[in-house]
Amino acid sequence: MSVRDTILSRLKATLNQPDLPFPPQDSDPLTQAERMTVTHAPGDRWAQAERFAQELNAVKGSCELLETETEARLSIISRLQLWQEEEQSARKTANAERAGDWDVLCWPLHQLQIESLPLILKEMGFKLIEPTDLHDPEQRERIRSIRAGITTVEAAFASTGSFVVGGRGANARAASLTPFRHLVVIPFSKLFATGEDWLAQMRFAGQLDAFVRQSRNLSIVTGPSKSADLEGILTMGVHGPKVVHAILFDDVHE
Amino acid sequence: MQVDFHAPYKDRVRQALSDPNLRSAVSRATDRMSDARHTSMDSIEGQKLRTQVRQMKEHVLRNWPEYLEQLETNLTSNGCTVHWAEGIEDAQAIVKDIALQNSAKLIVKSKSMATEEIHLNHAMEEAGLRVVETDLGEYIIQLADEPPSHIVAPVIHKRLEEIAEVFQEKLDMPPTREPTKMTSLARARLRQEFFAATMGISGCNFAIAETGTICIVTNEGNGRMVSSMPRVYVAVMGIEKLVPTVEDAYLQLQALCRSATGQNLTVYCSMTSGPRQEGDVDGPEQVHVVLLDNGRSRMFARGYGEALMCIRCGACLNACPVYQEIGGHAYGSTYNGPIGAVITPALAPEIGQFKELPHATSLCGACREVCPVKIDLPRLLLDLRSDLVQQGVSPKSEAWGIKSYASLMSSRRTYESLGKMASIGSNVYAGLSGGNIKFMPPPLNGWTAYRDFAPFAPKSFRHWWRQRKKLRGQT
Repeated sequence: MSVRDTILSRLKATLNQPDLPFPPQDSDPLTQAERMTVTHAPGDRWAQAERFAQELNAVKGSCELLETETEARLSIISRLQLWQEEEQSARKTANAERAGDWDVLCWPLHQLQIESLPLILKEMGFKLIEPTDLHDPEQRERIRSIRAGITTVEAAFASTGSFVVGGRGANARAASLTPFRHLVVIPFSKLFATGEDWLAQMRFAGQLDAFVRQSRNLSIVTGPSKSADLEGILTMGVHGPKVVHAILFDDVHE
Repeated sequence: MQVDFHAPYKDRVRQALSDPNLRSAVSRATDRMSDARHTSMDSIEGQKLRTQVRQMKEHVLRNWPEYLEQLETNLTSNGCTVHWAEGIEDAQAIVKDIALQNSAKLIVKSKSMATEEIHLNHAMEEAGLRVVETDLGEYIIQLADEPPSHIVAPVIHKRLEEIAEVFQEKLDMPPTREPTKMTSLARARLRQEFFAATMGISGCNFAIAETGTICIVTNEGNGRMVSSMPRVYVAVMGIEKLVPTVEDAYLQLQALCRSATGQNLTVYCSMTSGPRQEGDVDGPEQVHVVLLDNGRSRMFARGYGEALMCIRCGACLNACPVYQEIGGHAYGSTYNGPIGAVITPALAPEIGQFKELPHATSLCGACREVCPVKIDLPRLLLDLRSDLVQQGVSPKSEAWGIKSYASLMSSRRTYESLGKMASIGSNVYAGLSGGNIKFMPPPLNGWTAYRDFAPFAPKSFRHWWRQRKKLRGQT
């Protein structure tokens, strides 16, 4: 008998014992109807966006809420400029750091739902890296020097300030993981009150199973990378981004 | 002073107790985590969450083989390779083979209790492979060549100064005690390893049966790195770490994060359903899942299945007065604290191999109160003690002591006259030594070694009661 069959038959034999103290015979699954929603975020989309910002701030992220796509576009640009300037002044060698050296790892920009952004960013001198294969040593080497990553999300949860990033096709996992700074663009249409709400909607639409499998990798992200391993002292940016900045904009206009 | 992991249990405990730095580091950290857990669970319907997670886990274990088969089918159809491991050697050999087949020389690893359980690093290093732990805490103790001392906070026993010393010695860090600088150094060093490694290994916090998805939870992001950057990704999971649906996973995730660190959610929950497909920019080309039994099915058959619901949050460690005093290393096992005291002997081929652990408890019940799955740990500890007695593993003196106690307690006359003798004897002795008894002969010196012994009351309660009745004329 294979190891697999030995283990499974041992478990089956145990479960057939009538006097087994645990688990109880009538162990019903948790149904969709009875499963609780752990946290709540009441109100309309703007109230939820505000709650998202509050929760993300509480875990040391930061957030802007904007009314239009145009404002979001401006905000993305000025945020990147701000980061660039911050870094330059931190290094105190402003002349060595030109805008052209500032590489940004980006998901395909059409996904950000913001028109003409790529063009403007390129004009501003940001070098947008859109890798095709990060197992290729040359491309891998290039992402070592990126200063920021820009992505959008599969979904965002107001009650916890979390967002879900997928990892398939041209959406590099690295964009939200390896740089020091992550700029995450969240249209209101992707914002849900809670994680449970999002899951319920996906389940109801019959898409949940296929979505999870086909994503290969989904990450629920709640704030910047951190650790308390050094005597309980909170330090940021251990492996993932030290800075997570979310730009939420209203694409619904209810 | 460090705890010698190879010393006998009592010596380890003694060493731990005589290290004031260890005790203050552990109790400060456990208090902090306990407070965070408390606040976090109080801000939601915490009791309901615990009840529901328990219901879900009971259901999983009642239908355990079916869920394992479902997980296997779905992992396979997602393109993952599933391996089954009966014990430590099996599991080590499987992971070693995957590494050798892929000519992996360097392996990056995220924190995992299952791989601690199978001593994976040691086995891989013996095979000439380099394994780098990437969780900051695990990285520190790997550099210091020590095992983890807490399920979620492996370096809880070390103070900042001690960590700085390790970094200075092993990483040539310039002298500093600045946590930000130390973290930056670790980030830079480990980033090189992530980019160079062929293989990543992680544990598995839970696996979703319906979709064939492996979930790992980290705050630092090393779990995402390990499962995304190298070409080969291996997850080693205990066979009990199952949840039926994605919604169940999200429920358990929240119970885990709140109970472990008091966070609403940890920073990253990374869910891997399969290898990279054509057109994907990154992600591993191979995903292997090792389903590890290593005593779990035996523990289930022995009647200790309730402890298999454990989601490894560490809340019981933080709440335990014994753990707070002695820390993790004194237990001398991979899993420590109350849950370790149950599952270490229960998983072992013979429970007698770890006969001291079911006694490393005050049975106060604090662990049961905080467990997110409501595992009745004190009862399981008593069950283990009872099994040890039935198997004749307990010391003879204990059996003799209990027998004498039983015969003494079953005769009122003997009990009362012994009480009277103890009262007279202890009062005379105390009078001679100035009020309290400072020394008693073995085995009673177990008490007086650490504290004085107050003499018995001059009159017993019964004696006093009889006199009182007499005085009131009610005889």
